[in-house]
Amino acid sequence: MRVSEGVPKGRIVELYNPGMFQEREEVIVFTRDELSRTYNSIKEQIDHINNIDLFFNRGEEWKLIGYWPKILASVYLLDRNLDSLLKKEPLQCYLDACLFNIIGSSHRNVAVSKRKVSAQLKLPI
Amino acid sequence: MRYSYGIMDRRKILLYSPHLFLSGDDLLVFPTKDFNKWHGDIKKYVDGLYQINSNNMEKTKSINITGFNLALGVLNNIRKEVEQMFDPEKIYDFSYLYISTLDEKYKKQKGNYYTNDMRRCDIKIPVKPKIAPWMKYNNMMEIVNQVSQDFASLEKSGERKK
Repeated sequence: MRVSEGVPKGRIVELYNPGMFQEREEVIVFTRDELSRTYNSIKEQIDHINNIDLFFNRGEEWKLIGYWPKILASVYLLDRNLDSLLKKEPLQCYLDACLFNIIGSSHRNVAVSKRKVSAQLKLPI
Repeated sequence: MRYSYGIMDRRKILLYSPHLFLSGDDLLVFPTKDFNKWHGDIKKYVDGLYQINSNNMEKTKSINITGFNLALGVLNNIRKEVEQMFDPEKIYDFSYLYISTLDEKYKKQKGNYYTNDMRRCDIKIPVKPKIAPWMKYNNMMEIVNQVSQDFASLEKSGERKK
């Protein structure tokens, strides 16, 4: 697939490789970190199933019945990741990593409730 | 995931929903047609995996080695597609676009994947063990050991009685 990197400037995106696309071609734009997160997750699931296969001894066919649900769990995650590519909902893992709110709150009540959950916010992620 | 469609206009891209991105974000841009085709192709293979599993959902049947090999073949295709995502020379077949219509009930994940069967694998109890010569020998030796222990304890108690 043809791909190019770009930087947004208001309504327009400036491309590093504009020659990749034709004039008036419709394109789809992702942020790099979110796409790479999903892409790596897909690759990880595939590698996981391949590892199961590597350590699976073909002589011990009876074990397959136990390993199959494990494989399916990976397939399920892979499917989820694929779906998340074209969904508008925010990625859950991305939200988890962004618990810290950098915008200071001026309201007093908010500050009080914020202090209450401070222990939760300090959890290592 | 945040994404927006856009259109090429004088060597730049006009975004349809620019509010999603901050200035300074690192963006990746794909042609929509190619991306949808790529996505559809992988969905097709994943649906194939679910179809292999559909045999497994009937109570009397379970997965066998043929199904497993088939699933690995399909998985290999997925891996190939995923790796070719950034290959600009890959040419897609645009004559059709796969849209998944598989029933949701086949896609459901059932409970915990660590099943009784997996436990059996971990503690190494074969479902239908083939009786190998070493098993016969071990079984015999267990009986012999037990008997000799019993005899030894009997002899000890007999000596004490004397």
